[in-house]
Amino acid sequence: MEGLVKLSFYCFTAAAIALASSAVCYVAYAIGRVRLRQAVMQTSAGTTFSTSSAEFGPGAVGIGRYGTLLAWFGVVFSGLSVGLRSIVAGRLPLSNMYEYSLTFIFVLTAIYLAFERFYGVKQLGAIVLPITVGMAIYVWSLPAWMRDVDDLIPALQYNLMMTAHVSSAILAYACFAVAFAAAVLYLIASKRRIAWLPSPAMLDDIGFRAVTVGFPLMAMVLILGSVWAYRAWGTYWQWDPKETSALFMWLVYGVYLHTRGLRGWRGTRSAWVLIFGFAATVFTYYGNYFFGGLHAYGGV
Amino acid sequence: MAQLSARPRVAQRSPLEIGVDRVWRFFCSVRAAVYEIVLLALLVLIGTLGNSSVPDGIADVLPFTAPLVREWYAWDVFHSLPFAAILTLLAVAITVCTINRAPAIWRAIANPTVPTSHGFLRGADPSARMVSTATPAAFGDDLIGVLKARRYRVLTERRGDEIHVYADKNRYAKLGTFPFHLALILILVGGIVGARFGFREQEVIVPEGSTRAIGNGTGLSIHVERFRDTYAESGVAQEYSSDIVLYNEDGEEVRRGTTTVNHPLTHDGVVIYQASFNQAVVLQITDAAGRVLFDEGLDLGIYQSKTNPDAPAGRLDLPMAGLQLNVIAPDNNRVNAPELDDLQLRPGEMYVKAIPTDPTKAVTAGIVRQGEAVDLGGLSVRFVRETQFSLLQVARNPGIPIFLLAAVLLVGGLAVTFYFPHRRVRGIVSPAPSGAVAALAPLAKRDWSGQRDFHRLLEEVANRLGIQPEVHASDESGFDRDGARPDGDQPMQPGRIRPAATASRARTR
Ligand code: HEM
Repeated sequence: MEGLVKLSFYCFTAAAIALASSAVCYVAYAIGRVRLRQAVMQTSAGTTFSTSSAEFGPGAVGIGRYGTLLAWFGVVFSGLSVGLRSIVAGRLPLSNMYEYSLTFIFVLTAIYLAFERFYGVKQLGAIVLPITVGMAIYVWSLPAWMRDVDDLIPALQYNLMMTAHVSSAILAYACFAVAFAAAVLYLIASKRRIAWLPSPAMLDDIGFRAVTVGFPLMAMVLILGSVWAYRAWGTYWQWDPKETSALFMWLVYGVYLHTRGLRGWRGTRSAWVLIFGFAATVFTYYGNYFFGGLHAYGGV
Repeated sequence: MAQLSARPRVAQRSPLEIGVDRVWRFFCSVRAAVYEIVLLALLVLIGTLGNSSVPDGIADVLPFTAPLVREWYAWDVFHSLPFAAILTLLAVAITVCTINRAPAIWRAIANPTVPTSHGFLRGADPSARMVSTATPAAFGDDLIGVLKARRYRVLTERRGDEIHVYADKNRYAKLGTFPFHLALILILVGGIVGARFGFREQEVIVPEGSTRAIGNGTGLSIHVERFRDTYAESGVAQEYSSDIVLYNEDGEEVRRGTTTVNHPLTHDGVVIYQASFNQAVVLQITDAAGRVLFDEGLDLGIYQSKTNPDAPAGRLDLPMAGLQLNVIAPDNNRVNAPELDDLQLRPGEMYVKAIPTDPTKAVTAGIVRQGEAVDLGGLSVRFVRETQFSLLQVARNPGIPIFLLAAVLLVGGLAVTFYFPHRRVRGIVSPAPSGAVAALAPLAKRDWSGQRDFHRLLEEVANRLGIQPEVHASDESGFDRDGARPDGDQPMQPGRIRPAATASRARTR
């Protein structure tokens, strides 16, 4: 058992390395090729000066392919890591920030790859993959005792509920991360027409579609959470800060869904709402660090 | 023009009518709804932060905000008037908005306008033109066949020698928005019903072997037969549970069962939760005449001994004997502050102090061993055995079924709206020198997915009818660039149909 826990950690390490390399490839791919030209010119007075100009071109197809391949490695190894821990614990690893973030890395990369396949564009990876790398660094920095598999306190020993509630949250957050990436690219692509970026219309659609998955999932998180709270604590809504911050982020995405149909709001401003929504998501994710309340047993 | 001709009518309306109309339109406005939701979200954020350490952090950095931060912590946002007001506003807006748009949505589903115009089709982005050697009627039938194969409902109307076509799919999914928005109101209703007609007792203490009334108009009492707690090797509590029996007003047993953390026992809407547990002592108290005044468990652990906080203590009021009994158990944690442990009780001993309600009478006290009795204040106090008490929570919330219904409507409504998007196509089939020509366009402005679906439809036309549609799509539609995408791994665009080359490079904006 000890051994499997260790192996799980090694798999996580392998995933982190794959994801970091993948992020580098995606970023290089999205930025494209930059060729610097130097030209030496002569003035009429006989002095010379040199000018340099940059020429941009689409990224090499090959480097994008490596990005995808490495991201798949990341999915496989983080999946193995999650799987091994599940075997040891007899449940999905979702009960402290270490387990939760580990699972999040796996889910986010997988969802990203699904979007990549569906839309056939790779540039989102330049934003999503660095997020997974950031998460991996965070997981790395967590105290080592969190890597042990612990028994759960009675309130958490409700496997089905916990799995449904928490995994919905992870899926929703992953969708919102993809929507965030689409919004950032949208803002870039709609400001300056970079020929090799996906069209703003497509980016807008990616953002919207990610939210159409994430928003109902987030509603499920709130609902399952309150059903569970009703069973465990006798009240379905306590205005606990983790609850209210989840409600807050859900409302932000509710705003987004309305603005998308409004003249003056659709496009750029909607993209900003998505970016703000992701900030709210991050706030909820790390909320345990500054909230007290009933969700405090996040193990932070 | 329409505005000009409408003006005289507006002038005739009474100020009241105009006012009502304004208010109505305010509530219908999605733009206003955005600001309302923003306001609600803002209050939720303020409340969330008010339950966190963030305001403290602000006050640390900016000392002059300290008074404001104190107010912030003191403000119970979620039970405040502004919060209730914004919820009410949203509920009204959703209701009005629903009433307002339902007829139009129903019309679009039940009998949409079929005829369209060449102008619309020419201006549409994207649009497609296809030529056939068949007669207009036969070509129209072919196209209808393709649309039907793609699960479209097709409506046609003859206009002169032209056939106008309207096709759509997932039309009923448009209704999904109603259950979703009404669910938001239902959640509020559930909350109000729960708060008004429900109750929640957070601390119902029942020692093992004892019975306590629930109250709150239920007429029920809880008897805890047995309490169990189990621990994992690591010392983490694994489970606690109580075997309980419920009695009605007449003392008849109505329910028997076990309640554990996460698995409450429910009877007639009353839910009994296992919250926690603690130590208790069973005492038997008889007066001089031999009457039994008390014979059950007394919970220790709610009170603390004033002198030794590590010692669990309990209090029992015996008004008929004019006494209050204070019971102190042995120190649970002898290592901690041993100097405070002035009683030095050993396991199996209890310290009992009898305090008469009449202050002129003397206080008596003594130590009693398990199985023995002491005489205090004219009573015999027997220490029967140690036991545990179960800390239960009892609640009834009639809002729960409403809430669950709302949850189903909410998620179901969203799923239907999002995953079965309403797709629409308009077209005209007209006679042409060669036979017939058809123009088709989706109603998918700024809807990339809808446009992609249209391209798939055209691909199907090409496949089935062997006709290559000529597609017009601007840069805005987002399709042209995909064709030229450097990375051709997974072409989004239906392979064989290229957008008309001229349109694709020309930037319309
Ligand atoms: C907390 C309050 C609200 C939330 C969370 C919310 C959420 C949503 C969501 C998720 C959608 C997209 C899905 C769908 O079409 O059903 C939507 C659409 C819509 N909502 Fe709301 N809503 C709220 C309040 C309101 C209010 C007060 C109004 C009326 C003024 C309103 C009017 C609409 C309309 C007209 C649409 C369709 C918009 C479109 O298709 O562009 N909503 N809302």
